[in-house]
Amino acid sequence: MVEAAFVAWVGAALVVLADGRRGLALGLVLLTAGLAVLAWPAGMAFGAVAIAAGGLVAAGQCLRSGPASWGIMPAGSTPRLIICIASGLLALWVAASVTSGTGAPLRFAVLLVVGLMGARILISHEPGAVLAAIASLALALGVAPGLAATSPGPVAAIVGALIAAGVVFVPAGLARLASIPLADKDGA
Amino acid sequence: MPSIALLAPVLLPLIAAGVITAFGLSGFNLGPIAVGAGAWAAVLALLVLWIPLRSTQELSLGQLGFGTGLQLRLDAVAFAFGLMVLVPAALVLTLQRRNWQEAAIGVLGVAAAMGAIEAGGVVLTALAGGTAATLAIVQLDAEDVRAPRPRWSMLLAAWLALSWAGVILQVRSGTAAYAAVPVSALTAPVFALIALAGLMASGLVPWRSWPAEVWSRPSLRAAGLVVATLYPLGFYLLVRAYEMGDGRYPQVAFHAILASLGVVVALGAAVRAQSATTRRGFFAEVIPGIGGFALMTVALGTPLGLVAGLITLAFAAAMTACLSLLPDRAGPASLVTIAAAVGLPPALGFGARVVGVESTFEAGDFFGFIGVGGTIVWVLWMVAGARATGLPAGRGRPTGETFPRVAMAVAALTLVAGPAIGLIQSAFASPAQADVMPLPAGSVGGGLMSMVTVTTVLPVVALFVPLLIIGVLAYGAAGTRLIRTQPRPPLFNLPWAGAAARLRRAVALASMPEQYRSILDLRALEAAAMGGRPLIWLASLVALAFAVTR
Amino acid sequence: MEPELLLAAAAALGLAVVFTPLRVPRASLLTWGLLGLAGMAAIVIAPSLDLVILILLVLAVLQARLTSNREFVTRLRAPVLAIALLALGLAFERMQGPVVLDRFGAVGIVAGLVAAIGLLPYVHEFDPDESVVASPIPWMAFIGPPLAATVLLQANQVIPSDAGDAFGAMLIGLGLLNMIGGSLGSWRTENDASAWRYSFMADWGLAMCGFGLAIADGRSAALLMLFSIVLGRLPLYLWSRQALREKVPTDRPINLVVAAVLAGSAPFAGFPARVLLLRGATQLYWPLALVLAAGMLLWLPSSLRLGRSMGVPRGRQAVGVAIVLALNVLLGVYPQPLLTLAGL
Repeated sequence: MVEAAFVAWVGAALVVLADGRRGLALGLVLLTAGLAVLAWPAGMAFGAVAIAAGGLVAAGQCLRSGPASWGIMPAGSTPRLIICIASGLLALWVAASVTSGTGAPLRFAVLLVVGLMGARILISHEPGAVLAAIASLALALGVAPGLAATSPGPVAAIVGALIAAGVVFVPAGLARLASIPLADKDGA
Repeated sequence: MPSIALLAPVLLPLIAAGVITAFGLSGFNLGPIAVGAGAWAAVLALLVLWIPLRSTQELSLGQLGFGTGLQLRLDAVAFAFGLMVLVPAALVLTLQRRNWQEAAIGVLGVAAAMGAIEAGGVVLTALAGGTAATLAIVQLDAEDVRAPRPRWSMLLAAWLALSWAGVILQVRSGTAAYAAVPVSALTAPVFALIALAGLMASGLVPWRSWPAEVWSRPSLRAAGLVVATLYPLGFYLLVRAYEMGDGRYPQVAFHAILASLGVVVALGAAVRAQSATTRRGFFAEVIPGIGGFALMTVALGTPLGLVAGLITLAFAAAMTACLSLLPDRAGPASLVTIAAAVGLPPALGFGARVVGVESTFEAGDFFGFIGVGGTIVWVLWMVAGARATGLPAGRGRPTGETFPRVAMAVAALTLVAGPAIGLIQSAFASPAQADVMPLPAGSVGGGLMSMVTVTTVLPVVALFVPLLIIGVLAYGAAGTRLIRTQPRPPLFNLPWAGAAARLRRAVALASMPEQYRSILDLRALEAAAMGGRPLIWLASLVALAFAVTR
Repeated sequence: MEPELLLAAAAALGLAVVFTPLRVPRASLLTWGLLGLAGMAAIVIAPSLDLVILILLVLAVLQARLTSNREFVTRLRAPVLAIALLALGLAFERMQGPVVLDRFGAVGIVAGLVAAIGLLPYVHEFDPDESVVASPIPWMAFIGPPLAATVLLQANQVIPSDAGDAFGAMLIGLGLLNMIGGSLGSWRTENDASAWRYSFMADWGLAMCGFGLAIADGRSAALLMLFSIVLGRLPLYLWSRQALREKVPTDRPINLVVAAVLAGSAPFAGFPARVLLLRGATQLYWPLALVLAAGMLLWLPSSLRLGRSMGVPRGRQAVGVAIVLALNVLLGVYPQPLLTLAGL
């Protein structure tokens, strides 16, 4: 479980630090793997499968769009690196020391991924990276119910997985919908 | 009569407004007769409901949803104030031609005012009174958006203050119904809110406020109606406070302060009236002046004072109707109105003020000085009235909305009603006073021929009728030919008369010196706060987190 | 409360579609409105806050992809911040730890909700010329009300009593901030469209104070305020867009009546909401009632401005405005059926 949490951290860090499609896809894959493994013992076996499937679909689509490069740690990404390290340490401290009870790796992963993906979206300008971050956020939100005392069921994980898989397709889909003329500025 | 009939004085004007609107949307203007019919129907309903029984009737129709039920109540106080609102409003609506929008809004305002008066509790009065205030503003602006009108903020503040007082009563005592509020719940802060609401609602302040300003509008169609519907409501609150307080205000100081304020209000109006440059300017101060005298006596806390105050308010209602219909030109109508307004004997205003001053002396202690002050102010009004007879008329009004004969008839009625003050007292004012104030034996009494107080008997018929005859003979002998329109200097000018306006102008023109503007750039501040900056968000989050750890 | 707000939103959409000016394409308005309604319905029936957050993410992405002058990424920032804060807050509530963690959780949930709606201090970037559907206004006036009711209901089930006071205090504090900031901003800002946006904030301030009071009167007040936003302010804003572009203020009676609606004067829906709020505040802490009463007066100057900016509604719009006024009068004079329906 600790390894899975670490893998999730590495994945999340890659999503934050990478600008190219390969880097983002790899980050998504690692994040998916980590979260799926963490979700399994948290009473969400079926959910873990859904998370894995959704994450892999998202990673696959991510690999097909955006700059064809790794783009890991481009120039000017030092602040992002600092954020990744600092948030990891902070999440570790909260999960392992401040809070108690079993499931510390899951706590660490949820806090870390949600925080990092939120930061990624706030500071990023590139739509591809933002969509990858949204997919990662959806996966984390899908496994977050595992923090509850009682078994939450797979619904949230399935929904999260569906969102993760679907959001990276949204630009193409909405381009067709957007051909319906939007409400004019005058009336609405 | 089934209790559901209590809805009639409110519903009939509402229905009238609906009919006016329906016809108006179809392209027909029903005309003033039809418009006034709604208000006259309400008058008739009020009389039919009250006169046969002359006792309190109540109607409760269930909860409205904000802590109060739809409770209506018709007692002598509601009857008195209902007449004060309805009769001048009906007269004005009947005679003056309006377009259908103005007519509908006007009649709605009448309905709302009646709702406030018939309401059985503080919160419902606040709702209805606030509605009346809103409609008054709409009415005035619909007629002429550039002409003076009440400050909406003051009216809103008044009814909001009353709402707050009502909910405090609900929280403290479980009810805000006038008849059910325990005396202990009407504490000084609660009464202060009610008094503040009353003063603001009626514009009872020493400086020039809306009851005076609206009379300077080019057209007085809406002004007269607004004064008729809104002005009595503030006094209504002060009278109802007696009912909640078992006949007195929570502290004697409130009586002293409010009664003194009444004198100051009347004084302010008198000072402005005696320095007016036109007759219209003089007439503009008449209602505030009468209101000041009314406040002086209503707030005394004695039965005689309340009776005098109610008679004074009835006189104010009559003068409202008169001034609404009076043209801006010299003539007998104007002269008679001036005579009535300043309280020349044996007018109703004269009798009311005599009884009012008498009531201050009967109240004793400090209140006697208030009576002395009131008398001095009255004398000032006489001087102002005498000066006003020679003033030029004013800016002029559209002739279609003036009815000099009717105005003169109303003013003459108040002049000759002086001898009937005993009747008015026993039939109109004393029942209302008895409803809200326990009556010590022998405090106020009398009948048609005289008024009996604790210290004296005022033989109104015997005194006033000869005065009336002498007055008529004198007028007949002199007529108006001796009057010359000429500018006469005021008795005195206040050195600080324009200070408030100058101060307001100075504040409005104030601006940050150029060299300091960069320190407080509101535009930049707004851009920073509203620009969706993550740093601002993060800082706010940290601040919130810090706050919860304290 | 949530189903009632959903119905109100549906009614507002109906009003907007039926009475919108002819030059506005109804199809797209209806399409995006129904999508929003579907999302809101999903939020209302969601059994847990986790699902609510996920649905919120979907709505945020869908709205951010609409054509607009603002970048896709820019438009996502505030909603994503909201989602992250809500998720973190919920996570903190579920973790076992010191009491301060529960309070941080409450911070996250309140801040997340405020960010989702777009209130101070988490204001969404606003372009006055942008289409309403793509602007932050739907978050404030369409999706926001049912979302807030749902989140607060769900949050009350996860936040322990230790952190309950902090939760309520934050709602009231942020409510006061929005009340004052919104009403002053609506009065003083240069752009009329921005003034409308500020006015939504001010109304939300009162609603949040009502929620923060956590007693029946407070919740009733909040419900009535939200109804007045959805069924009063929102349709009036939509119908004012044409006049806002033409920048011709008008001073007709209808503009004053609209100003009265927006100011919460009697007999409109805002008045009983204010009465209930004052009653609730008086029960708990009377100085708060004093602040609220004083703050309520700030609505007037901005309402007069907004009323004038509406222009003169004609044709279908006039009918729509009349319906909105009638609904507000009904709610203002007799809100009991609505409150009974909402279980208050």
